[in-house]
Amino acid sequence: MSRFSRRDFLITTAGAALASSMAEPALAGLETPKRGGTLIGTWGGFEPQSLFVPPGGGSSPYFTSTKVLERLIRLTVDLKFEPVLAVDIKPSADFKSYTIKLREGVTWHDGNPFTAEDVVFNAMQYWKPISAGVSLDALESAEATDPLTVVLKFKAPVPEFFLKSVLAGKSGLVIPKHIYAGSNIITNPINNAPIGTGPFKVKEWVRGSHVEYLRNEKYWNPGLPYLDRLVIRWWRDPASRAAAFEAGQLDIGTFNPIPMPDIARLASGGKIIAETKGYANSAWVTTIEFNQRRDIFNKREVRQALMQAIDRQFIADTVFFGRARPSLGAVHSSNTIFFTNDVQDYPFDVKKAGKMLDAAGFPVKGGSRFKLSLVSAGWFEENIKIGQYVKQAFEDLDITVDLAVPDRATSLKRIYSDYDYDVAISNNSGGIELIPSTTQYYTTDGIVKGAAFRNATGYSNPKLDEIVAKMTVETDEPKRIVLAKDFDRLATIEAPLLPMVDLEPVTIVRSDVRNHSATADFMGESWAELWLDR
Amino acid sequence: MLRLGIDFVRRFARNRAALIGLLLVIVVIGVALAAPWLFPRNPLRIVGRPEIWPFVNSRYPLGTDSLGRDIAAMIAYGARTTLLIGLCASVTATLIGITVGATAAYFGGWVDEMLMRFTELFQTVPNLIFVLTIVSILGQKIEYVTIAVGIVTWTPIARLTRAEFMALRDREFVQACRAMGMGNLRIMLGEILPNALPPVIVLSSLVIAGAVLFESAVSFLGLGDPNVSSWGRLIGDGRTLIRTSWYICAVPGLAIMVTVLALNLVGDGLNDALNPKLRDR
Repeated sequence: MSRFSRRDFLITTAGAALASSMAEPALAGLETPKRGGTLIGTWGGFEPQSLFVPPGGGSSPYFTSTKVLERLIRLTVDLKFEPVLAVDIKPSADFKSYTIKLREGVTWHDGNPFTAEDVVFNAMQYWKPISAGVSLDALESAEATDPLTVVLKFKAPVPEFFLKSVLAGKSGLVIPKHIYAGSNIITNPINNAPIGTGPFKVKEWVRGSHVEYLRNEKYWNPGLPYLDRLVIRWWRDPASRAAAFEAGQLDIGTFNPIPMPDIARLASGGKIIAETKGYANSAWVTTIEFNQRRDIFNKREVRQALMQAIDRQFIADTVFFGRARPSLGAVHSSNTIFFTNDVQDYPFDVKKAGKMLDAAGFPVKGGSRFKLSLVSAGWFEENIKIGQYVKQAFEDLDITVDLAVPDRATSLKRIYSDYDYDVAISNNSGGIELIPSTTQYYTTDGIVKGAAFRNATGYSNPKLDEIVAKMTVETDEPKRIVLAKDFDRLATIEAPLLPMVDLEPVTIVRSDVRNHSATADFMGESWAELWLDR
Repeated sequence: MLRLGIDFVRRFARNRAALIGLLLVIVVIGVALAAPWLFPRNPLRIVGRPEIWPFVNSRYPLGTDSLGRDIAAMIAYGARTTLLIGLCASVTATLIGITVGATAAYFGGWVDEMLMRFTELFQTVPNLIFVLTIVSILGQKIEYVTIAVGIVTWTPIARLTRAEFMALRDREFVQACRAMGMGNLRIMLGEILPNALPPVIVLSSLVIAGAVLFESAVSFLGLGDPNVSSWGRLIGDGRTLIRTSWYICAVPGLAIMVTVLALNLVGDGLNDALNPKLRDR
């Protein structure tokens, strides 16, 4: 069976999954949601550094902050934008300004009203300088024309899908002006107990254990949330999460919470379900990154050779037990808008890799071509194994490898702050829209020392920057898709970093939890609609 | 001297359990030494299908782990790591312990006060947390793990050495040495230490067992050196599969248990042999 037939098969099944999920809201409508109860949730990673990390900070704080902080709009599973705090967002004819109509009667958890002034503050003080970074470079001004209307003005045309993706994405959380104005947003201690407009209020965060949220009785959407209490608890390892499910101490776990071989066993009883929906807008990959500050990895041929030395099918089959597949290009294969298979492929071929290294000027001398330090980020259990496998794959090329698998904090520091690695194994999750969630790993302006999950390799290529710059202002969607494919081709052939495998994450959930996984990024939704059939 | 040696062996051998312990330790040392001949390739190499159970495939007598690495090879090489860390950490701890304990007891007064408070400072920090802290600061290298374990385990040796020295320092033979004008260092090392050593040796042998456990704990928590094979790491890697392939944890777990038990038995035997008067108590 060739790779392509497998891929086609997977795409077909993914399509079927998408179709069935679109039918779900109708099905859910048949049952009357029940109010009340406590839901205990977790995810396949560890506790965050802070409940809300304004510049991003990865999935862990994203998971905890989105139950409290909301966005203007959200993306549904069939890739349509739905109103949340904004009821309408309309571009002008030249796409240089957008008018945002806000929802009436929304209050912050401390009782203050949510107004257009808050959105103006977020746009100019939070999104543009801190969270969205380069993606809002063109934003010139934000103005509140009345208490519920904001006009965003841009220097250049801004594509509609792009702007809405930013507003519905990880960087579009809306924070209260009256709390943050005049303070340093990033270091404000309120980030450990954020105040938002969301369906849940932070009750307490017991470090090392869990965070408890209570129902927001004054939530703008009457009747929601259905739950009285939400607890997000962290376990150190997947096996204990599986045990917690079996003991009834855990209701839902997103993003591969339990060991892959346990999934079938747990799901066989019917009380627990393995759900693959809900990840369309947070497509996870495991990446390999080559530090451009090192002379060896500054050579394109070396990077390409090393890509070919890794049997990525092995990683997908053995480490992820088939719940992943070898990546093709820089864009996740689940991206129905921008994915293309017309990119350079790096099939597993050790001999060819060796010849490429010989040709690049790194022949075997005294048993070794060169020495490299491999840092595999220890935030997922799988990365320990991948690190050990990649070490071996490189050793087969007569490269001396010094492997380190540091804990989460040290991994973040070594990869994204100190750039203390030669080759790194990391993860990221990108949205459907490529700017900035995918492009920021390749563009020059993605190099921000200390900012986690950006361009850590130091790769800088004016040609690639130009393509992304064009994409940023191209408002014609078909033309944008062409540009996106140009970007993908160039990034893939340059390979400063590339996804090794596209993950197909699973949510493990008890069968009496209802209304889950129905959005494009379920983990980062507010979970207001979740209810318990108990 | 020879008579003393024979006496020692006879007393040690009277303790049957100690003999069994010694035998087991020799087996472990033998496996560690023979590892490169038994398993000529890198033990961390992926050699076969993942999760082959023990005694199923004769090429992998103890099975393979979740990546398809030969558990038997990892156990054999892991024995080297384990014993090396155990020995080095024990030597480090003994050196620090004897130096501190002997100096404190011999000189007494403020030196004693200071050194003992210093020792207590180390004693009050929970050992495992202290080891983890040192390793996470210095880095995940086998050398650093050894140093860390040495640093946390020297305190009981220091206290014991101090007690022995206190008992000996005012004895007639020491006073005689002083009267002859011997230097402090010579009295401490040449006269008192040989007499104080037997119980310290027993304790040091127990420190080896402790060090093995520490190394396993550090590796289990994923802070060990990922470039070397170690029993604790094997358990740590296997724990996600404990429900389906429990042997990945059980095999190295058994190895750790047997080794630590054997080392403790040898320690008991040494105690009998070196402190014969205590034996009948």
